Amino acid sequence: MTKFLDLWQKLLTWTMALTVAILIVPVCLQVFSRFTEIIPRYIWTEELSRFCFVWMVMLGAMIALRERLHFDVDLWSPLSPRKDAVLRIVSNVFVLIFSAVMIVWGVDFTKFGWNQTSELADLPMWLIFIAWPLTGVTWVMFLIEAFVRDIRMYQRNEALAVGDFS
Amino acid sequence: MMTASLTPGMAAIVLFGAFFFLLALRVPVAFSLGLASLPLLIFEDRLSPMSLFNEMFKAYNSFILLAVPFFLLTANLMNVGGITDRLMRLSRALVGHFPGGLAQVNVVLSVFFAGISGSSTADAASQGKLFIEAQVKEGYDLSFSIAITAVSAVLAVIIPPSILMIVWGGVISTSIGAMYLAGIVPGLLIGLAQMATVHAYAKKRNYPVYPRSSFKEFLTAALVSIPALTTPFIIVGGILLGWFTATESAAIAVLYAAALSIFYYREMTLKKLYACIVETGKLSSVALFCIGTASVFGWLLAYYQIPKALLSNLQGLGFGITATGFLIAGAFLVVGCFLDAIPAIIIVGTVMQPLAQAAGLHPVSFAIIGIVSLAFGLVTPPYGLCLMISCAVAKVPLRYALKDTMIMLIPMLLVLCAIIIWPEIPLLLPRWISPEMLK
Repeated sequence: MTKFLDLWQKLLTWTMALTVAILIVPVCLQVFSRFTEIIPRYIWTEELSRFCFVWMVMLGAMIALRERLHFDVDLWSPLSPRKDAVLRIVSNVFVLIFSAVMIVWGVDFTKFGWNQTSELADLPMWLIFIAWPLTGVTWVMFLIEAFVRDIRMYQRNEALAVGDFS
Repeated sequence: MMTASLTPGMAAIVLFGAFFFLLALRVPVAFSLGLASLPLLIFEDRLSPMSLFNEMFKAYNSFILLAVPFFLLTANLMNVGGITDRLMRLSRALVGHFPGGLAQVNVVLSVFFAGISGSSTADAASQGKLFIEAQVKEGYDLSFSIAITAVSAVLAVIIPPSILMIVWGGVISTSIGAMYLAGIVPGLLIGLAQMATVHAYAKKRNYPVYPRSSFKEFLTAALVSIPALTTPFIIVGGILLGWFTATESAAIAVLYAAALSIFYYREMTLKKLYACIVETGKLSSVALFCIGTASVFGWLLAYYQIPKALLSNLQGLGFGITATGFLIAGAFLVVGCFLDAIPAIIIVGTVMQPLAQAAGLHPVSFAIIGIVSLAFGLVTPPYGLCLMISCAVAKVPLRYALKDTMIMLIPMLLVLCAIIIWPEIPLLLPRWISPEMLK
């Protein structure tokens, strides 16, 4: 399971890096085409960069959950490892609810975009909307891993008598 | 006209109640905002959770926000590409011989950095690694070193270019060029206030001083840094001359920083470049994802006409310009404690705008007051990103550096008060350089 998730995360990270790199190209093309005749003025540049951008945000948001990069407000620290694990489980339950919403209504959202195409480049919109349910699915997988880890952490510290040695 | 089935008051209680409840349970901010919006989206007949995704998509599908990853990438390229090192040498030649030498260098480098990058979090992350350990080694207190690094990092969003100004321009339609020019004077004033604070600390605690650099050393440091220091002029000048838009200017800054570090300073490798890009992608997506859910939250506030209800109470009081200015700053300062600056602009900025307009506050002054107040929010707990990052670099809890941070905020607050009392201060430069932008 962890091995698969490591691989999946690596794939996501590569794709995200790719979107960041691509992002620069159309924006610069847009500027240069304004001043030179060599490059024609593509009208799809802006749209392409925006679509890469949406994917970058969603891919980054997927990865960030596993690496615990999403910022939270910590009013509790310092906590013992055991209580910390409990609080993490509680907050992750809410994140799980949000992921479920992303999957359930995200599928509707994708269906809604099934027959739509973008204004300028004529790209099918579901190619973008599908990022939402995909994010939800990825989050659920990462969350299961986190739940297992936190429950183990809780049990291990329970075994250490009181466990509050922090 | 839409009719909502809940009164503004009820909807506000549900939204804010759920939001703060989830925050207290340590649910990440982005998820708290999204989850707090859910009950209303499900309950209201006309809405569905699909509106959540639709609003998120609309928020991300914006050309303006592209500036966020670009500015972060510029900052990261500067750090690994050797530009920051060059600027550090110059800062040291300039202010190293002042009392508290290295801490003064810390502030001045933040001013230079602010002129090239528009991201405070990038500044805090890079200078945290650069300064905190070095300062402690030279005999500075750890909490002081963390605090000055975090506090000076906020300059990046006040001195142009600035991510916050670009977002402000997009959300509240104010001229970004005018805001850029308007940010220079307040930014430098705050920088000076910080240098004065360092001076006072250094005198009291006997912090070390570097020997004065010779004129030759200064000259070499300045010459090497010139290509890097022209970046702000390219960005701001290019926008003023109409060569490119604010977002495009951020992309140009990336190209320029990349070119400098690859061809001029020659410290870039492919591996470093990939690490830079991944880092940029992660950091900017986290910030941007939060903007998506904040937009949904803000959109629901507007749907239930909560801002209007709030303001109808305030507008009756008939505040003058100064009182309104303090009210605006107060609102942003409080919200800045709990929210990241960009969602705060989306949610609070739009609420405050009619109020500022009614009081006759110039839109550009309004923007600067708002952005400077939000900059304070970057170091105020519980959600002060720059302070969190600096503390994380030093591996201490946030509380550790709190007292020194608060002391350093006092002189900066005086500058904020001055801007509120004389809203003409930020308007000086734009009025002089391009008065047509203020109309």
